[in-house]
Amino acid sequence: MFLNSSRFIKSLSLLLITLFSVAACTRSSAVLNNPSTNTRRITDDAGREVFLPAKVDRVISLAPNLTEIVFAVGAGSSLAGDTTYCDYPVQAKNIEKVGDTQHPNLERIIALKPQVVLVSTASQLEVFTEQLRSHNIAVFVTDPHDLEGVFRSIEQVGQILGYVEQATAVVSSLRARAMAVDNALKQSPRIRTFYQLSAEPLYTAGHDSFVTDLLKRAGADSVTANVPGAWPKYSAEAALAARPDAIILPTGGSMGEGNGTVAKALASSPAAKTGRVYKINDDHLVRPGPRAVDGLEEMARVLHPEVFK
Amino acid sequence: MTSSRLSNQNRVTLRRTIITLLFLVAALVIVVGAASLLGSERLPVSNSLCALTTLGARQCGLTSDHFDILFQIRLPRILLAAAVGGSLATAGAGYQALLRNPLAEPYLLGVSNGAAVGTMLALLFFGSLEWSRPLMAFAGALVATFAVYRLARGRVGATPERLILAGVIVTTFLSSIIVFVTTMMDATRIRSFTFWLLGDLSGANTGLLPVPIAVAVVGAIILTLNARSLNLLMLGERDAFDLGVEVSRVRVTIFLIASLLVGSSVAASGSVGYVGLVVPHLTRLSVGSDNRISIPSATLGGALFVIVADTIARTVIAPRELPVGAITALIGAPLFIYLLKRV
Repeated sequence: MFLNSSRFIKSLSLLLITLFSVAACTRSSAVLNNPSTNTRRITDDAGREVFLPAKVDRVISLAPNLTEIVFAVGAGSSLAGDTTYCDYPVQAKNIEKVGDTQHPNLERIIALKPQVVLVSTASQLEVFTEQLRSHNIAVFVTDPHDLEGVFRSIEQVGQILGYVEQATAVVSSLRARAMAVDNALKQSPRIRTFYQLSAEPLYTAGHDSFVTDLLKRAGADSVTANVPGAWPKYSAEAALAARPDAIILPTGGSMGEGNGTVAKALASSPAAKTGRVYKINDDHLVRPGPRAVDGLEEMARVLHPEVFK
Repeated sequence: MTSSRLSNQNRVTLRRTIITLLFLVAALVIVVGAASLLGSERLPVSNSLCALTTLGARQCGLTSDHFDILFQIRLPRILLAAAVGGSLATAGAGYQALLRNPLAEPYLLGVSNGAAVGTMLALLFFGSLEWSRPLMAFAGALVATFAVYRLARGRVGATPERLILAGVIVTTFLSSIIVFVTTMMDATRIRSFTFWLLGDLSGANTGLLPVPIAVAVVGAIILTLNARSLNLLMLGERDAFDLGVEVSRVRVTIFLIASLLVGSSVAASGSVGYVGLVVPHLTRLSVGSDNRISIPSATLGGALFVIVADTIARTVIAPRELPVGAITALIGAPLFIYLLKRV
């Protein structure tokens, strides 16, 4: 008994010593790298100051919209890892996968030795920011609430990866397309629209969602534009009482054919009765990336067919 | 002499039962009426009451939108709330009487989670067949019930502690299956699932609404018909057997009916917690522990409780909504702690 416990204590102390020395090693390497190389400073959408090395050429994206942005600015070769949701452009599928957006695998992220990890919202950030920082990996958060916010994300990613000119060019061409829609719709009446993110339970786009801005730019008057939050669960009777003249169903993209029909509660809405129910590729509407402008143009076209012939 | 006193007692019980139930039915009618008038949209009160009293036969000056809100959205949801609350409370009362355990409850015993796993599997494999959901939920509830019962029965019988422990084990095991299945799903489905798992009544507007209502009514009647046997079972299984109760038949009946009740309500609304615990306790406190009164009272009380909870869930941050399970747990968890201290 006594012998057993002493052996136990021995092995336990051996284990602890090993752990501590490993920890000490990583700590010392972090200290060596950190202050001298991470000289650039950039503020992200969560309001954090992120310190970056002068040249970033290994980045991991934890959201499909960020992967699309990295490729759009021409920095696809810097992408060391992305998620199982990242399917556009096709090259994104061949990038090493680090899990999905909700459940990224921390070990694999660290093993891929990126300098920066791009994150789409602040969720779960607390958990892994500290751990990544101890490995000298910066975490950059994007959280756009409107199309200008999406443009800012593109410019920031360009800045981080050293593709500033390309990013500026991408943004100015996207902005020109958005302006063209704006100009075309100047004289058009706004259409009361309900955005049905999912039917059961009924979810919509609220005040903080970039989709609400896209709807406004597409000549729609979103009936849920002032509802707090980005993706609120919404009362069916409030949706019906708002009498939407059009309903947008994001569906048919990489998420499949779900959400293809109007919620039963809205069957007697003016939109459903007059057949003004429009399916829009959800990849263009749930990903705040370059293709959000495609989503904007598609919505403008179906809501105002008289303008876009 | 003895028989006349017994029948006299029975008559008193019968009268008390009828008075109690009439009172609860009246309360239910009032609460359904009040809940129909409350919601994110304000409906004109007198016109709505007029339309409600004619059961929608006349519009009573309501606009067609208001009429649709009242009869297509609100009333089905209130009826579903009543069915779910009635089912869960009846099942809870049944489990508590049969297992002689004041803490027995569909949610704590893992039966709700069993039904949830069944519903998820139905959605995964027979997504388009609406009917598969209540059936698979029933099967899941039944499996979970028997698993808990088997685990809890030690050499000394199922003590309250053993039963709850078994329930916790089965609940966490089934939760891990739920987590595993949701991880396999795509992102949009996860959103609706997490909401549904917390208990959500917004899907009331379906053709399946009559199912939970019918199950609640039939289940409550069958359990009440077994109430006398359950009363005798309170004395212990051996004594009940000596007094002529077919113990194993009663046990199978209660397990089957309770699983059916839990299965149909979980398939319709997810796991609404604590109803099966709180309501039977409150009704026993107010009408006594005679199952002939307390079981049907629990049915009606459960309906009242969930209607009120769901009215809070859909009005408190309107036009946004909360899952009803969050409200029932908010009320039920503190009460559970209170009851734990009394046991």
